[in-house]
Amino acid sequence: MSGDAAEPAWEHAACAHLLTDDAGTVTRVNETFLAWTGRRRADVVGAPLTALLPVGDRVLFTTHSVPQLSLAGRVEEVSLQVIAADGTRLPALLTAVRRPADLGAGRAAEVAVALFSAGARRRYEEDLLAARRRAEASEARRARAEAGLQHLVHHDALTGLLNRSGLLEYLRTAARPASREASTPSAPAVLYLDLDGFKAVNDSLGHAAGDELLRVVAERLRGAVRDTAVLARLAGDEFAVVERTGAEGAGELAQRLLRALDPPVVLDGVEVVVSASIGIALQDADEEPGAGDPEARGPDRAVALLLRRADAAMYRAKARGRSQWLLHEPGQVDPATHRLQLLEQLRRAIAEGQLRLHYQPRTSLRTGRVHSVEALVRWAHPERGLLPPSEFIAAAEESGLVRELGAWVLDEALGQLARWDAAGGRERVPGREPVQVAVNLSGRELADPRLLSRVSAALARHRLGAGRLVLEITETALMSDPDAALVTLRDLKALGVHLAVDDFGTGYSSFTHLKRFPVDELKIDLSFVAGMASNPTDRAIVASCIELARAMGLLSVAEGVETAEQEAALTALGCDLVQGYRFGRPTPAGALAGAGAAGR
Amino acid sequence: MSTTSTTTARRSAVGRHHVTVTGDPDGPVVLMAHGFGCDQDMWSRLLPRFTADHRVVLYDHAGAGRSDPAAYDPQRHATLDGYAEDLLAICAELDLEDVTVVAHSVAAMMAVTAAVQDSSRFARLVLIAPSPCYVDDPATGYVGGFSRSDVEELLASLDSNYFAWAAAMAPVVMGAPDEPALGEELERSFCSTDPDTAREFARVTFLSDCRPLLGRIDVPTLLLQCAQDALAPLEVGDHLHAAIAGSTLVRLEATGHCPHVSAPEETAAAIRAFLAEQR
Repeated sequence: MSGDAAEPAWEHAACAHLLTDDAGTVTRVNETFLAWTGRRRADVVGAPLTALLPVGDRVLFTTHSVPQLSLAGRVEEVSLQVIAADGTRLPALLTAVRRPADLGAGRAAEVAVALFSAGARRRYEEDLLAARRRAEASEARRARAEAGLQHLVHHDALTGLLNRSGLLEYLRTAARPASREASTPSAPAVLYLDLDGFKAVNDSLGHAAGDELLRVVAERLRGAVRDTAVLARLAGDEFAVVERTGAEGAGELAQRLLRALDPPVVLDGVEVVVSASIGIALQDADEEPGAGDPEARGPDRAVALLLRRADAAMYRAKARGRSQWLLHEPGQVDPATHRLQLLEQLRRAIAEGQLRLHYQPRTSLRTGRVHSVEALVRWAHPERGLLPPSEFIAAAEESGLVRELGAWVLDEALGQLARWDAAGGRERVPGREPVQVAVNLSGRELADPRLLSRVSAALARHRLGAGRLVLEITETALMSDPDAALVTLRDLKALGVHLAVDDFGTGYSSFTHLKRFPVDELKIDLSFVAGMASNPTDRAIVASCIELARAMGLLSVAEGVETAEQEAALTALGCDLVQGYRFGRPTPAGALAGAGAAGR
Repeated sequence: MSTTSTTTARRSAVGRHHVTVTGDPDGPVVLMAHGFGCDQDMWSRLLPRFTADHRVVLYDHAGAGRSDPAAYDPQRHATLDGYAEDLLAICAELDLEDVTVVAHSVAAMMAVTAAVQDSSRFARLVLIAPSPCYVDDPATGYVGGFSRSDVEELLASLDSNYFAWAAAMAPVVMGAPDEPALGEELERSFCSTDPDTAREFARVTFLSDCRPLLGRIDVPTLLLQCAQDALAPLEVGDHLHAAIAGSTLVRLEATGHCPHVSAPEETAAAIRAFLAEQR
């Protein structure tokens, strides 16, 4: 190469060439380089090659390329910039080859450097990098929203304790006994604590004093338990303590908690005497919850049973007067025993046509028009009147009867949609009649292998496109077996059905899973919407949900919207669809057509 | 939730840092810590000059070379302390004693930090092309070689140098013509480094100021310096020599930042002379 260096061909080669000695000092440079950089030969020759590079490239070249040249003999296409005489940065790709000393020929080691101008390549790299950083930033925003949301969802803003969903999550995971240990001192005990006479404080001293009292109680409870205990505020003046005490320790703990509440609390200069009632239930690995019903086992059911027992024991304690505690006795009547009766009646109700569907509009905040309707089931009970789903769905779901119920709802809802199409002619009056109908799908139905064929058959029977149907699945149902849910959701999605995550924010979402689910909508639970106007925590949750939906490219749907303030707040947050009394109550199909025609 | 257990199975420090132990198992211990922007392969030329009569321990820093990607903890490795802890952990796990730590470039300050934390296992330090602080400090007259605006530009350019980092990972054929081939390692990534981690490592390197630690070094220390080191001018050697009590400063004939690569014979001779003197 050094021989070539004298050649005119080298001087005027297509690309810039330099030679350096082994120490990196430039010994020769060609005309092409000088023309390209505007530099003078005298300024370049004798100076270090790295002096031509901006500081960042200088460091990289010194720490990476120089040792690589030494060890491997060459570096190829190093992306860097060369500083021109006027200070501009010229993007380049550097290739260099080291030729070791030839002692025979009396030639020292040298390095031949070629620089290719690479403006286009550099721009391409910068674009790639910018895209990458944008993706990272968006991922970081999503992660922050997620972490914040997880905390908000599981904690009570007033006291900093866990809330109900946080406690459930804890009981489902951390507190589950690994084996038969109810008889050992370490079995977790759940203590339900309800203040006596809290309503009187709230009514006479106001909500601020009531809140202060709750904070004081939370502090005192925390001071009375071990560090390993978990505390929660479930609602209003209901607290729960979970500690691994065993049966005997639980009684001692209950007394300790009651004593901690003995000293009066001073609120606005008024001394208030606080007392509470406590019910205790032990998490019992021996017992098979729902042993007679193999489909009703599982952690959710066990946790629900545990809490219900502690709750029942608390009510019995309260009936005995102030500052009492009671342990749940095995054999004590379970408040859920009337479930069997109810199920029997429901089975008959489906067969005998006692079920009804009501439809609630889902309105677009942007256009103000009805976007779709949600079908909600009602039971016209011969003795108890029209029952909302809260009265019977849980029982149906636990028993598996929900599959029959769900099949009826799906068929009826799609039938109604077809009838609306036929009567209204949605092509003639676009936007007035509902475009889609949303139907709730339970966890049981989701796990049913016949679900897909049932959905496609129902759509075919009523000659409706799959895109007319939205299936709403609760977050909790999705998360009970996320992998199985994913398979089913993908099948449904392939069919063309729209998918919504229902009651979003109340479950225990693994966002990792959620991200994988091919869903179209997030439905924000009405409990958060209800608290939006007054409670900053709830507002933050709703905002996070909407943000999350947007980040994931999903429609956000707010449920339970009742007031103008809520509507304004949701509009400001950019929520897509709203549903609630403010926009229309659930009504029979006939009534809805009128409401829809009246418009908003 | 505060109750969630975080105890997960962790690999040993030796596994995490791809530790290589070679040479004479009964010889005195030399532990080599590679510098900024590379991995333990940088020692390939110096290594043969020690293996006959020393037990030589090599490793890759978290985020570099063949270290376990999980070993890199963005929080712990945000300062040199985390890297120093890693070095001490390797010594403790192998139960090394009377260790001569040979550390290049930024690793020199990891070794200094480790020695200040706990020098019980160290016999001496050999610092190659070291710098306690890369930034000039006009208030004290300290010359680090980089002005504040240099370092600001350097840090700002780390991101756009992403592809330069990535290019450094490109596979090349190892084995210079005047050097025996490196066996099965012949072709593999040279100094493989994750560009994102390398950026953070550069930040730690160029923002650290270890000058306050220098007076607390209580083991014999050899400083090896070269002319024309783009990362540390000669004044840095003088500063180190003055600040580290009883240190020895040797200026090599070799030039540049990596004398153990470009002039292994001379570098080894200087280190061996120091070892003999201190024995």
